[in-house]
Amino acid sequence: GRSGAALTLLLRSPQVQPAFVPRRGATGERWEAADAAAVPVLLPSAGSWIPSPAPQDILYRSGLCRKLRAGKPGATLDFARQLGHFFVDHPEDAFGSLGRLLHKNFYLGNAKLKRPARNNTIRMTALVEDIDRLEARRGCPRQQLASRLRWFSHLCRDWLFEVPLGLLADCLHEELTQQWSSLLFDDSLTGGALAWLPPKDGGTPVGCLVHPGGQAMNHLYFQDVVLKELPHTRGSPAQFELSGRIRQVAAARVDGQDFVGVRSDYHCGVWRVPAKRGAAPAPLQVIHTDVPASCLTVSPHLPGELSVCTQSGTVYLWSVETGLQQLRHDPQTMFFRDHSPWRWSDFTSHPRVLSFADRTGLQCLDARAPKKCHFDLFKVGEESGCQQGERVVLPMYLGRAHPSQYLVTTQFSVYVLDERLPLVPVLKWAHMMKAPPLFAHLMPGKPGRSHKLLLGASRTQELLLLQYRDSFWGVSSGGSQSACQLAGTPQRLHDIAGCLQHLPTQLPHRHHLLQQRLSAPAAGLAATLQEDEPHKSMLIFQLSEAGDVFCQRLTHKAAEPPAPPSRDEATTAPMPSPAAALWYRRWLRALSRACKEPPRHTWPPSLSQRRLFTRRDLEGPAGPSSLQRQMRQRLRQAMREGGRIQGWEPLALQPSPLPQTLELAGGPDPLSTRLTAAWAGDWEQWWEERTSFSVAQRQRALRERRRRQKRAQGRRSLSASFTSSLTYQSELSELSDVGPSLLSPGRPPILSQEGSPPAGSPPVRSPPPSPAPDEALLSSQSLRYRGIPKERRKTLRDYLSVWAEGPPEPPEPPGSQASQLCFPSSQRHLSPAPPPRRKRPRMGF
Amino acid sequence: SSNEHKLNFKKSKEACLSYIQDALLQKQWKRAAEFLTCYVESLEKDYSREHIGPSEMIWRIGTEILWHHSQSSMKEFNCFMEQMKTLGVKRYLKVCLEHVFHLLCNGQIDEAYQNLSLAESWRFGEQTAIQDKEMKLIQAYRGLLDYCSWSKQKNILLEHGEDGFADLAVEQEMHGFFRKAAVNLKEIIKIPGVWDVFVKCYVDLLEFYGDHNEACQVLNEYAYNSKFPANPNAHVYLYQFLKRQGESKKSLISALKILHDIVPSHELMIDFNTMLQKSKKRKKRRLGLEVIFAALDYAGWKENAKAWSCLARQVKQIVISEKHLDWIKQEWNSRKDWWPAFHFSRYLAKRNWQENKSLSYEKGLVAGILLGKDCKYFKYVSHQGCKAQLKRFRMLKKFVTRHNSAYLKISG
Repeated sequence: GRSGAALTLLLRSPQVQPAFVPRRGATGERWEAADAAAVPVLLPSAGSWIPSPAPQDILYRSGLCRKLRAGKPGATLDFARQLGHFFVDHPEDAFGSLGRLLHKNFYLGNAKLKRPARNNTIRMTALVEDIDRLEARRGCPRQQLASRLRWFSHLCRDWLFEVPLGLLADCLHEELTQQWSSLLFDDSLTGGALAWLPPKDGGTPVGCLVHPGGQAMNHLYFQDVVLKELPHTRGSPAQFELSGRIRQVAAARVDGQDFVGVRSDYHCGVWRVPAKRGAAPAPLQVIHTDVPASCLTVSPHLPGELSVCTQSGTVYLWSVETGLQQLRHDPQTMFFRDHSPWRWSDFTSHPRVLSFADRTGLQCLDARAPKKCHFDLFKVGEESGCQQGERVVLPMYLGRAHPSQYLVTTQFSVYVLDERLPLVPVLKWAHMMKAPPLFAHLMPGKPGRSHKLLLGASRTQELLLLQYRDSFWGVSSGGSQSACQLAGTPQRLHDIAGCLQHLPTQLPHRHHLLQQRLSAPAAGLAATLQEDEPHKSMLIFQLSEAGDVFCQRLTHKAAEPPAPPSRDEATTAPMPSPAAALWYRRWLRALSRACKEPPRHTWPPSLSQRRLFTRRDLEGPAGPSSLQRQMRQRLRQAMREGGRIQGWEPLALQPSPLPQTLELAGGPDPLSTRLTAAWAGDWEQWWEERTSFSVAQRQRALRERRRRQKRAQGRRSLSASFTSSLTYQSELSELSDVGPSLLSPGRPPILSQEGSPPAGSPPVRSPPPSPAPDEALLSSQSLRYRGIPKERRKTLRDYLSVWAEGPPEPPEPPGSQASQLCFPSSQRHLSPAPPPRRKRPRMGF
Repeated sequence: SSNEHKLNFKKSKEACLSYIQDALLQKQWKRAAEFLTCYVESLEKDYSREHIGPSEMIWRIGTEILWHHSQSSMKEFNCFMEQMKTLGVKRYLKVCLEHVFHLLCNGQIDEAYQNLSLAESWRFGEQTAIQDKEMKLIQAYRGLLDYCSWSKQKNILLEHGEDGFADLAVEQEMHGFFRKAAVNLKEIIKIPGVWDVFVKCYVDLLEFYGDHNEACQVLNEYAYNSKFPANPNAHVYLYQFLKRQGESKKSLISALKILHDIVPSHELMIDFNTMLQKSKKRKKRRLGLEVIFAALDYAGWKENAKAWSCLARQVKQIVISEKHLDWIKQEWNSRKDWWPAFHFSRYLAKRNWQENKSLSYEKGLVAGILLGKDCKYFKYVSHQGCKAQLKRFRMLKKFVTRHNSAYLKISG
């Protein structure tokens, strides 16, 4: 499609022969995909990805409902189901204290209650049956509430709940609507969380990819990438752990140094990557905001300058040296009323003038006098020929292509604006993308060549390549700024999901999981142009919400006549190159390793005998020793003779060491004691003693631990709010060490350590019984984090405590395990950031 | 039920559209064309109330395909366009205009002119405001083509005029073109908007026939009417016109002053500064300093050697005369917190030295005066210059050291 005024004519030179040039030039550079699909750049990291909720998770589905609302637009949120999920998933928070109080008064058995008990106990089984019946009749228009249920709910609605039901419902409803709106359009990702730091001058082309990772997407990685036919990583990345999910990564190069700004909801940080090659990135500063930040851009003009916007409509100029300067604060939108709290800001050709955007348009503010000096750059309205309902989605300064040009994308169109001629777009094009373009990346062309602009959408993973020329008129001061030309037709590029068909065939359920992972919404976009080599090429990186980074290469084709139709109309997908196919296999292997699901039948936990006996213990002697042979011979001889053996002492040999002496030497080794007892024949008695001892010891240990835990929790709850993310992380990394993921909900907690040593590693040499479980592993808080239901936590704790020998170690002070914490604690205490919540797809909003 | 059928039809329509889009974005023009022929069926039941209806879709997509399809010909394109014109009455003029553009880009000026004339005579019911505007555009483009013909005749006449041969018929024809062009061009530039090409052509016509007053009025209106967008080109045209007319320095300066206020980063600011520096009036010279400082604020001017030499010249003048150091001081005050990092970093000193010695000379001078002889930029540049035994740089070093007091005054 073309926009209405696509072919506005421009008269090249009225004095001479008239020549008309279309606004949409037919000739652009030809770029062709080098491979059949995008190829992964990074291997998937350990730990399974938790997909964000899908529409079917929070929408109401019922035949009745569909019938009632047929034809009506909009969606109904399944509020009741979510409230039910909350009660089931968080019983402690929902009914904790009263549940404990009434614990004895509720009877869950099937038998009839006897007289004395009936006075203060009610039988819940009937109620549960009623509920089940109700569930079965759901959708029946004539359903009648069972009187018993009505009676019960009437009786306890007001006091049973820990949080008053009305309040809880309000909160849940608010959260649900927010979830739904972010499902429809999640603008927190605007700008994208992927940045490419181009190679430093000279030497091998090694750039740096800055991307988020980890299960909570709260780790920031600086990964060196060598640009070759297929780019590959070099060395291990510099890694930083942040206290929130990374929403945006922005970068700019000033004076040879890269400045990388990172935005999470309540924190923004800036890193510097020095000009020297191989120098480590260094965190410079962090700011904390009370309202979520919606934008962070890095100045292309001055080192260490950024602009920050918060959702309330405040824009700051942030300088690492001088701190924050508030430029504007206005909760209202600029040109007309719009409900969206999203705000954006970027730099302009003047280092002291910043742009400020909301959904209705763009303004430029002078930081030296922000109240007085400002002008409108773009308005959603007639001047730009906007459609009804059109809104600004992403503004971007195009300074690297032309110092005074600006890009504005809306859900329908792309506009290029010139600061010198504000309000009148110098280029407009209807992009026809299915989802609004949240990401854009500019690759400036050398003089005389077209600039390349990439647009990316999040939900649909769409990627479009546009080319434009900023001034093809070529007159320097003839007053020709408004000339801007779209070169060639826009081109669709591969998305991540497209590589699915090139991956080896999987089992159906694995295929489904893979599909889910590959079609996760895109979260960022970066690209680089390599122009110096003989074959010009373009590398495009795309990040998905699952943390995968895929890359595709486009090669430049010299202007040839249009390709023959046979090639042009190729509908069958070409096969990926062998190198790409190899990469796919490697990536798949790593993926299946990273999110390996332990088979279900391992529950209940089976104990490996390898735990009880080391291999050396189990290893029998290679053959009967000479002593044994001698003894056997003597035994046989004695039997034949019908006599008996007086003493075992061999005549010619040293007396063999007796088990007793061994025990004395070895000390109280349980295995040895047991064997000795068995040897002596009083094994049964030993077992009796052992069990009674261990029960007593276990009880003691448990009591001790509970006391300790209570103390620790008291301490913890105070600091939990600002250290939780940290402990959470350290626990996560612990978990990844253990191997099988304990995080996925609904899976029984399995702590079989069998799987942990990778095949081929030396056998575990820990003495039996297995080492005492980590204290952190047992704390109820950490168990809750792992998604282990409360009723199972005790079982697990008790089970684990069997292995505990002696009093457990006091808990580690939280934080000592954190690798590199970047957001300084001094910032954190200002107002505690909410701990990162893991959002499970169906439960616990 | 019929309702369901409608829904399904709508769904398949959408699916078809997405296939077309898919094909277009992959440059599979033939496939797109095949899908488009299916999509034509959607015209059958066009109940849509969307912003862009199916008929408009077909027009836009069809144009796009024919524009790129390797086997399409101009004849086919014209045929398609004629069909599209009859498809929607409301869009008739728009389609006509687009058709004309296409013809023009293919060099078929005469056909384009015919189409414009046809469109102009088209009437349908009562004209809406939009149609009115589109009609004006059609007339304007016809005016533009008339102007082109006029310009051609004029060139013939001028060539033959040198030979002493004057063709009365050609001259008559030329004047006819002038009249037709002038009427239409005059109309379009009355409507608020950006009409650079039309204004330029109209002024050219007027100037040729010596109607300078009218030309001046048109340009002034175009530049100063507040209903028009703030268009820097309008001021440039006015300035160029005044210059051609040999107007006084004063009026030239006032024209450029307004351009400076709108777009401080305009290319003409160098001319403006040179003009002001030469002025005898203190106020003007002061303005000149302001203008060049303001221009150098912009990223696009960072490496403009000409601009830096303008600033260096003026700063040098002021320092030598030791008068008006306060001017520099005042300009510097609002910039001293960011210019050092923006212009005078060590990195830039190195790069400027490597890429453009004369730029680094001019910048070095300014840096030396504004930031003193210890500033990184000046130190690097003068050191390199002296090492390379360039006389200019040795002089520069001497000059800055001698006038270190000026730095103290500016920064103090």
